[in-house]
Amino acid sequence: MIGVAPPAYDPAAPTTANTLPVGAPATVRAYVSELFRRHRRAFLLLVTVNTVAVVASMVGPYLLGDLVERVSDGARELHLGLTIGLFGIALAVQAVFIRQVRLRGAMLGERMLADLREDFLVRSVGLPPGVLERAGTGDLLSRITTDIDRLANAMREAVPQLAIGVVWALLLLGGLVVTVPALAPAVLIAVPLLVVGCRWYYKRAPAGYRSEAAGYAAVAAALAETVDAGRTIEAHRLGDRRIALSERRVKEWTAWENYTLWLRSVLFPVINITHVTVLCSVLMLGGVFVLHGWIGVGELTTGALLAQMLVDPVNLILRWYDELQVAQVSLARLVGVRDIEPDAGDAGLSPEGRDVHADRVHFGYREGVDVLRKVSLEVAPGTRLALVGPSGAGKSTLGRLLAGIYAPRDGRITLGGAELSRMTAEHVRSHVALVNQEHHVFVGSLRDNLLLARTDAADAELWAALGAVDADGWARALDEGLDTEVGSGGLALTPAQAQQIALARLVLADPHTLVLDEATSLLDPRAARHLERSLARVLDGRTVVAIAHRLHTAHDADVIAVVENGRISELGSHDQLVAAEGAYAALWRSWHG
Amino acid sequence: MQIQDLPYPDPGVPDARSGPRFLWWLGRNQLGGQFKSLAWGLLHFVSVCALPFWVGLAVQAVVDRSGSRLALTGGLMALCGAGIAVGDTFLHRAAVTNWITAAARVQQLLARQAAHLGSALTRRVAAGEVVAVSTGDVEKIGWFVEALSRFLAAALTVVVVCVGLFVYQPALGVVVAVGMPVLAVSVLPLLPRATRRADIQREKAGRATELASDTVAGLRVLRGIGGEELFLDRYRRASQEVRHAAVRSARMWSLISAIQVLLPGLLLIVVVWHGVHLAREGRITVGELVTVYSAVMVMSYPLRHFEEIAMAYSFSRPSARRAARVLSLERVTDTVGSRAAEVPAGDLYDPATGLLVPSGRFTAVVCGDPDAAGRLAERLGGHPAEAGTSVLLDGVALDELPLASARTAVLVQDKDPVLLSGSLRELLDVPSSGAVGAEQALAAAQCGDVLVALAQGSLDTDDPMDARITERGRSLSGGQRQRLALARSLITDPEVLVLDEPTSAVDSHTEARIADGVRKLRAGRTTAVFTSSPLLLDHADRVVLVHEDEVVAVGTHRDLLRSEPRYRAVVTRETEEETALHNAADSGTAPQNAVADEAALRSTLDDHDVALRGALEEIEETA
Repeated sequence: MIGVAPPAYDPAAPTTANTLPVGAPATVRAYVSELFRRHRRAFLLLVTVNTVAVVASMVGPYLLGDLVERVSDGARELHLGLTIGLFGIALAVQAVFIRQVRLRGAMLGERMLADLREDFLVRSVGLPPGVLERAGTGDLLSRITTDIDRLANAMREAVPQLAIGVVWALLLLGGLVVTVPALAPAVLIAVPLLVVGCRWYYKRAPAGYRSEAAGYAAVAAALAETVDAGRTIEAHRLGDRRIALSERRVKEWTAWENYTLWLRSVLFPVINITHVTVLCSVLMLGGVFVLHGWIGVGELTTGALLAQMLVDPVNLILRWYDELQVAQVSLARLVGVRDIEPDAGDAGLSPEGRDVHADRVHFGYREGVDVLRKVSLEVAPGTRLALVGPSGAGKSTLGRLLAGIYAPRDGRITLGGAELSRMTAEHVRSHVALVNQEHHVFVGSLRDNLLLARTDAADAELWAALGAVDADGWARALDEGLDTEVGSGGLALTPAQAQQIALARLVLADPHTLVLDEATSLLDPRAARHLERSLARVLDGRTVVAIAHRLHTAHDADVIAVVENGRISELGSHDQLVAAEGAYAALWRSWHG
Repeated sequence: MQIQDLPYPDPGVPDARSGPRFLWWLGRNQLGGQFKSLAWGLLHFVSVCALPFWVGLAVQAVVDRSGSRLALTGGLMALCGAGIAVGDTFLHRAAVTNWITAAARVQQLLARQAAHLGSALTRRVAAGEVVAVSTGDVEKIGWFVEALSRFLAAALTVVVVCVGLFVYQPALGVVVAVGMPVLAVSVLPLLPRATRRADIQREKAGRATELASDTVAGLRVLRGIGGEELFLDRYRRASQEVRHAAVRSARMWSLISAIQVLLPGLLLIVVVWHGVHLAREGRITVGELVTVYSAVMVMSYPLRHFEEIAMAYSFSRPSARRAARVLSLERVTDTVGSRAAEVPAGDLYDPATGLLVPSGRFTAVVCGDPDAAGRLAERLGGHPAEAGTSVLLDGVALDELPLASARTAVLVQDKDPVLLSGSLRELLDVPSSGAVGAEQALAAAQCGDVLVALAQGSLDTDDPMDARITERGRSLSGGQRQRLALARSLITDPEVLVLDEPTSAVDSHTEARIADGVRKLRAGRTTAVFTSSPLLLDHADRVVLVHEDEVVAVGTHRDLLRSEPRYRAVVTRETEEETALHNAADSGTAPQNAVADEAALRSTLDDHDVALRGALEEIEETA
């Protein structure tokens, strides 16, 4: 059998469900037309400049044809000086405008690309916290890196080049029709072959290139993981398996390369044969016409040269067309974020007072499966409540509900009488903050990392916040102080320092209620001790709901709620619960000896 | 090498002494492919450049009113067309094959190098470099290696055509032959600046992507506490910088395109002016004029390869240098060792701190300084990053064993074990003794809820063993990750298992159950756990307190709680005042005894007196 079938394994196939929506065709179309409308002027300018350049480029063949005609007729007066002068002018115009075409094309492409990536980040940053908690940031991350990258190529090159190619090809055809109408049908002879070949190719190519790119990315990803997990791989003696895995990835990737190479092995001859057929038919047909005296030699020359020039724009269109198709998928993924309903909160809703109240709350992540059942709680202002219980019991979920991130399926959670789930995210966070184990240190200066909590804070306030969490010592020792670049690529902070920054942000944001979820759990327990003292200072006077991993946290709390199987099974102070001889008491004894 | 035969069974030993040598080595290893590409390239380029001759002949045939010659030219053109089509397709196939095989070879070399370096890659710079070479540099290296033969074919064609034109029509041909070299090198002086601008643009784009992904990675923090506008503004600035850099770069490239139009255009004008004069004087025919004109037009195609090779070289040279550097990295300690490959079993002893992990027992190590604990744990595995005194397993220095044997004997699970992506089944499929099954290990590490979560989150399977773990297990919580890593280490079932803070992110309820499960599963095997959690310490046969890189107390958890204030301070996290209070109450005599015990044990280790050791252990237990 001739040909190569697409490989069975497709690295571009999704392995996990899209956690965020992908844009529907209508959404994508609406977005694209909006993008074009926004840049209508730049687009028109590009087309105009391009038209001038192409028309100027057609002057040469026309003039040469004219000269050929006269030389072969033995005409007495050639006006050679005038013709060469026109040649020179046309060339100068062409050079100047070609430069403009390239430049305007790049400017337009870059502008659209910048719009696109900035639009996407604006949308992402506006996503409701509940969506983020549920979907995680992985899908979003792959969109902003991989998909933006793929689109960059399309916007930067494909869109302007296609615009140029189409205008160019149409003008050449038009020029041919105008100057030598008789030869126009000769150009059309090859069209059926081109159409059939291209249809075959474009039906297969976009998916093929997508898989090929995913396959190549998988090769790099396997290596990156081997590097990242160097210690683990050496400890478990997995080196040989990692080499084997990399080789399998190479095999999968190259299988797709081989497939797309086959696709091009069909397309290339089709295009080449089309070109030669056009040129051949123009010359042969035109030659016959000249022999019959229907057209002149000059017209034949012009026609042949124009037909030869047609190669470039046709190549351009074919070259960039599949890039655009690949980009379409990425665009749908980027635009998909627009389909998520923004946070529809009631901006006017304001809490009166600070007490948190949960009333017969039911909640589940999936239809029909409740993670929390009939949970009622009352947290008075300034109380410290500790939630303890085994993994998967629903502690973290309850914490997120109390922080207003999720809305209960049934029942109500109120802060100062106002229902949390009906308030906007911006409003909720000025009262309640959720602190989890994600101590993200942003790329940027130490100042930026603190300012996000209160954008208008002065340096003195930032230092005060750092001081409040015992971080001013090491921070003052930094050579560039608040201007020190931290985060990935900058100064590497220890987990404890990252945690202190997270706490300093809390001091600046100053919410009266805090939900702490495993806030110190990723820290080394011994390193955490020092921090807990800073934490105590931050927590002073605030209402605190702590999801406690360590029993000493529970021990220090005013009230302890034991969460088991989606319900609160024990509730009371440490001494009460120990005296009650329940699950908490048993645990405490084994912990404290 | 054909694409379908990849990967290479053995990618070979690269010449990584320098970047150019590495490029040369890659090219030399695919000489056959390079020749193929050269041959097809010649056919293609020569056929393309022959077209103008037929165009000219056809025009001349028409001028001469010769129908038969017109038909003959048509036939020649069709032949030429076949040459173009076949040459182009097979040139492309040969060139892409050269590119892919070179890229695949480099990727395979990198994978081997990464596996070989293993834990030596943790220094962030080296790790980042390997990844950067794989993601960015391989493509550029492959591009240059592939473009070489294509360029050669194009250059040869230009020479052939110039010579051909000169022979065909000396008077006009000489103009073209003089003009062509000028065209070939005309834009080369601009290329370094253009590539530099392109590099700046790429760098800025990388920075913008980094900012965007960093913002998204911390989005939950941003949404939770505010500051979105701050970060959006920052990204907008970076994004606009990318745009400006890109436009600046486009200015250079557009200038280059203008020159590429202008110079051939000028040559064309000279050709026309000179040609028309010659034609009027009857020295050349009209067809010959059209041929030369049309040949100059076509030549821009092979001429472009002069720029391409210059660009490919300027892009790939730094890439090759980086690749060569990465491929020539070496480990600090050798991996072969000075002893035969054997896997000793017995007591594990660290002479530097005096720490003893007796064979077949569950030892817990408490250490006030987490970094010191990490270093000590690493040393227990042998072949550490920095050379020093080696730990002894059954009296054998681990550093003297081959790396593989040392790792087989002792498994050290560090504080941050990485979950490798793939199905759960693949994750747990590690080299092991075979004695512990996945189910047992998962049960001991209390992974029940992880299995449920994995099965619920997976797309097409209900079997949690088929569920996919994402990179580094990011879709799981910290505690879930720790428990899966622990299960993996339990499956390995090594002679000696060293765990550094295996349950720091696990809640107390679950931790107590894990302590119980691990102890039961490891019964009769040697286990050392670095921890400060009372729930784990309470399950240990013996607890060792290490203070300032020295063993200062040995006993059981309960004994040490009572007798050793430094121990109590670390484990119960009591404040300094409380410690002082306790100190006043207790007098610390027990620890000294414990140290004496340890010293005695050490001497038994030296002379392998099993009976004496058994007796001493009894003493220790009753103490």
